[in-house]
Amino acid sequence: MKVYKIAIATTLLALVLNSVVYNADAAITQSVNVDEIVREAEKAAYYSGEDGIADARMLIIDAQGRKQMRQFTILRRDITDNGDQQMMVFFSRPSDVRDTVFRVEKHADLKKDDDRWLYMPALDLVKRISAGGKRTSFVGSHFFYEDVSGRTVSEDNFELIEENKKYYVLKGVPLDKSTVEFDYYSVTIDKKSFLPILINFYKESDDNYRRVEAVEIQDVQGFPTVVRSKVSDLKTGGYTLMEFRNIKYNVGLDDDVFSERSLRNPPRRWLD
Amino acid sequence: MSRFNKEDMQRRLLQRVLSIIIFIVCVHGEVYSKPFPEPYEDDWGMIDWEEESEDIYQLSGFLEMASGVRLSNDPIIGTDKTLSDLRLQVQFDYDLQASQFSFVSDAYFDGVLEQTRINIREATWEARLGFLGAWGNRFDAKVGQQVLTWGTGDNVFLNDLFPKDFQSFFAGREVEYLKSPSLSAKVSAYFDVFNLDVVLTPEFEPDVYINGDYFSFFLPTAATQVALGFDVTPPLRPQSPEYALRLYKSVGKSEYAGYFYSGFHKSPNSITQDYGPTFSSLNVYGASFRTTLGNGIFNAEFAYYDSVDDENGDKPLVPNGQARWLLGYEQEIVGNLEGSLQLHTESILDHQALIQNSLTPKFEPKQHRVWFTQRLRYKGMQQALVLNAFNFYSTTDQDGYLKVSAEYSPVDLWRLSGGLNIFYGKQPFTFWGQFEDASNLFVRFRYFY
Repeated sequence: MKVYKIAIATTLLALVLNSVVYNADAAITQSVNVDEIVREAEKAAYYSGEDGIADARMLIIDAQGRKQMRQFTILRRDITDNGDQQMMVFFSRPSDVRDTVFRVEKHADLKKDDDRWLYMPALDLVKRISAGGKRTSFVGSHFFYEDVSGRTVSEDNFELIEENKKYYVLKGVPLDKSTVEFDYYSVTIDKKSFLPILINFYKESDDNYRRVEAVEIQDVQGFPTVVRSKVSDLKTGGYTLMEFRNIKYNVGLDDDVFSERSLRNPPRRWLD
Repeated sequence: MSRFNKEDMQRRLLQRVLSIIIFIVCVHGEVYSKPFPEPYEDDWGMIDWEEESEDIYQLSGFLEMASGVRLSNDPIIGTDKTLSDLRLQVQFDYDLQASQFSFVSDAYFDGVLEQTRINIREATWEARLGFLGAWGNRFDAKVGQQVLTWGTGDNVFLNDLFPKDFQSFFAGREVEYLKSPSLSAKVSAYFDVFNLDVVLTPEFEPDVYINGDYFSFFLPTAATQVALGFDVTPPLRPQSPEYALRLYKSVGKSEYAGYFYSGFHKSPNSITQDYGPTFSSLNVYGASFRTTLGNGIFNAEFAYYDSVDDENGDKPLVPNGQARWLLGYEQEIVGNLEGSLQLHTESILDHQALIQNSLTPKFEPKQHRVWFTQRLRYKGMQQALVLNAFNFYSTTDQDGYLKVSAEYSPVDLWRLSGGLNIFYGKQPFTFWGQFEDASNLFVRFRYFY
């Protein structure tokens, strides 16, 4: 059912919105301490601004060239920097998922799963969604939940494998391989913005099967923001493009916006 | 039903399925003839952004064809058709500054009843009441024809006394049709200590119960299966209001709720002195709890059904009160596969008085009825394919209902679905057992516009 796809996708996107933003101040750091780079990248990618709103659109193209689209508005609010976050995703397209709403309470603590709810308008049903599926498709796209939300950095061991004037390239190896489908990944981090701009995932024998890339970065209210990104399934040729528009940061979203009330009756004030 | 007619029916269903497949292949071939993705630079400009238009209204909907046939013969009902819909849904939203009008209506030709029908699923005005002053910010209102749902069960309802359409559910219509609309006013209030929903339905809206139109059922007083196709109208159908209330609160990861309902039994399971089916009064008091547990979601719900017109349970023409319990757990088993289990019990109050006074004691349900439900849901092919199996099984009645379905939707424009509704049981008079001849196969094709 599309609604479920959307649920997952929503989370991803919400998180992408974060990843898209980074704090320019973070760019000053020049340390080659790997932990420091990882921490700065995480901070830059997911914890800039107190809150944010954006319209998002995904174009999903499968291996046969068939296209699907998802359009939605994301509202995000940080509880604490590098800590918990709240998100609401309001779907507007396609028509069979219109008015579907996804709500996430993201917990930074590894031991605490995110809380997720989905509102299905045709049934007037608020469904609570169980944890898991972090590496499954987000609303039918090639993005995984985790691509959007950001993989918790403490789940991997990192080493610096390359450095030039512009980039750091890190290799991440999962501590627990049973929870992921990859063997390792490489992430290219822009030295100036600390924004991850290219991630390649590998299976055994250096088989590069999946890629996440930042295609276009813009400055929004002083926050360099990934406005276009792409995820490719290098095995099938399928890919998903994601684009953000009407991005606004620090708009003053309060706690009430992120509630069951908003699932059933969206806060129109923020959605116009 | 002669053998010839049955074969004829099956042949027609097959023809319809084939025509749907041909249609899909055509649409598919026409729109998506390119075997490989275009360079993505071109794709970026391809999608128009809907909200760039300044329209304050939106129009959408779908066209759907649905067919279903019985898996075995039902000698009581003269047709093997269980579903035959040609349906157009129109959805229209009109946004005002602080409120919204929504309209969702189905117009369909029901080939089983050979009738054209209009089903207004939503015609509402919905608003936040902030315009009434600062205090109004705590209130929302939704007034008009609407679908309402609450409670924690999955396909099992304890404190949700809003109308349900079991005919559609059994016949294999899209799952959203299990919930039937009512003409109601809902006011929601949000406070620091708790939230409150109050729903007033000025005129009682019963379930769309199994009445013999599509499926036959067991009539204890006649000790046989019947398909009367009856419709209970006023004065046997009450025209008084129904009241429903929910008080709820979230604390951390846990959700608590209390419920109250005052109205009527939702199906006509009472009998008048003249042996006419009717709805007797019902009050329901209940509570629910939902939280995360391990990698999944745990839920528990309780409801006390006070059958007001039969306080002592000794009136044979009015159903007894009940105590209902539900325990449920749901989690992802492996990537893309979810599973859930529920345990549901219904205990009849004053069961001894029921049996002593019953006109048909041997057909009365046992004092405690225990159900288990199991669900498996698999999402494959980048979620274009969703497989679902949901089984109700009663250990006490030794009967059950298995619903299996597959949905395929590789593009935004259409969705093809098919499945089976299988009813089974050892006795012909138990809750699910009576519907054995209702078992059916269905296929649906929905085209979105």
